[in-house]
Amino acid sequence: MNAKAFLAEHRRFWLGLCSVLVFVSVWEIILTYIFPVNPFFFTKPSLIAVAFKEQVLGAKLWHDLAVSSQAFIWGFSFAVIIGIPVGLVMGWRRRVEYSLDPFLTALYASPLVALAPLFIIVFGVGVLGKAALVFLLAVFPFVFNTFAGVKSTDSLLINVIRSFGGGEKDLYLKVILPSTIPYIIAGARLAIGRGLVGIIVGEFYAASEGIGFAISQAGDTYRLPDMFVGIIILSFIAVVLTEFMRKLELTVAPWRASDEVR
Amino acid sequence: MKPEKLFAEHESFILGTGFILVLIAVWESIPLWYTLPRGMALFFTTPSKIAVAFSQLLLDGTIEKHFWVSAIAFLAGLGLSIVVGLPLGLIMGRSSTLEDLLDPYITAANATPRIVFLPLLILWFGIGIWSKILIVFAGAVFPLLINTYVGVKNVNRVLVNVVRSFGANEWQLMKIVVLPNSVPYIIAGLRLAIGRAILGVVVGEFFGSSQGLGYMIASAATNYKVDVVFVGVAIFMALSVILTLAVKHLESRLVSWRPETAKTF
Repeated sequence: MNAKAFLAEHRRFWLGLCSVLVFVSVWEIILTYIFPVNPFFFTKPSLIAVAFKEQVLGAKLWHDLAVSSQAFIWGFSFAVIIGIPVGLVMGWRRRVEYSLDPFLTALYASPLVALAPLFIIVFGVGVLGKAALVFLLAVFPFVFNTFAGVKSTDSLLINVIRSFGGGEKDLYLKVILPSTIPYIIAGARLAIGRGLVGIIVGEFYAASEGIGFAISQAGDTYRLPDMFVGIIILSFIAVVLTEFMRKLELTVAPWRASDEVR
Repeated sequence: MKPEKLFAEHESFILGTGFILVLIAVWESIPLWYTLPRGMALFFTTPSKIAVAFSQLLLDGTIEKHFWVSAIAFLAGLGLSIVVGLPLGLIMGRSSTLEDLLDPYITAANATPRIVFLPLLILWFGIGIWSKILIVFAGAVFPLLINTYVGVKNVNRVLVNVVRSFGANEWQLMKIVVLPNSVPYIIAGLRLAIGRAILGVVVGEFFGSSQGLGYMIASAATNYKVDVVFVGVAIFMALSVILTLAVKHLESRLVSWRPETAKTF
């Protein structure tokens, strides 16, 4: 393959890479030669790189990440364990839907992060408070996406199971759950974003460790390079998790790829 | 009319409001049948106490004062994100080079909770209104931009070619075909943007702030005034629900002539 065809094929990647490289070098050049950087208010890529190396080799960053991910995993797991069954029942039982829908929709639409200070004060600054906050934010995408998935289940399949004498359990396990899985994965992608908000707000508000705490502390003490390192690492994790979910979604349900907006 | 028939006809409404009323009643009656330990009682409040706190704060003007501070940050941030997000989304949808150039930033910024930029914004712009406006902007701009861009991308090629064949330039093309076709996407983006903007207001006012409903919640929590926390949360809840319904209404008005609505999220 000649170089031109190769470039054309991966045009998106190369243009993206070029734009990032140009951005970083312009940033570096401007702050080195044109406006010498005031380290209290701004920083430049070379300083961030030095801080990045220090942090990655040090122990504190990994400790912070471990603390934050522990709370995230607890909250997220409970959101899965509670959210999916609630969504399933809501989708399948009409009266449950009627009862829960207005209440849960109101909660889903409202900024529940507003409860963060209360959660931290009631449950403490440790894992429990943050996990509860993550749960509260992440559970609704699971409920509503599972609900939507059940609603869109092919009624023909349900009739087939019924005709062959399948019980309620067969219905759930053989038809409803499998056809709902793509929706649940899409919900998981939304839940990840909301859960990360929960972790960060919880740690900004009151914490003594964790990646959100590290970022806000670096800000409070004017250590801009360290703050940028925290932000970059968090973005990286967020991008990897959401892209993974998107790929999973495409693998599990390729037919939904066209009618979904990121 | 027979009661059974009445129930059957309004089942969803009765069950929906009934559930909320039962929940409130149970919450209200907890202190009657269970004495909370002292530690827990500090964090506990009942709907009636919240209502009392609400009327007090409303009468002494506290809510009004904080509300306007929050509203200005919300409106300015959302306005800014519309002014920036819409044109940029339109241009990105029309130019694939620009799309490829900006894609890495947009993917990264859209996946990352924009709240992480709050300490940076506070450091740069201080604890005044600007850091709030910008955090609202950072939250709201991406749903608008991305949805506009997807709307432009999904424009019917045939319509574009027809208008081109009749000699339209890029500006006329935008006005006649592209923009009207993107409206459902833009409105859907607006709906998401409103949610993100409110989130930005709340969290922005939690930290390094001395005014606004978010500040009211945070300072009340610090002083164990749980009823005031719930007053703030209830106000935000009501505002979100009202705004979401308003945009949904707008959506159905503008999109009713379409065979199918735009699917987003």
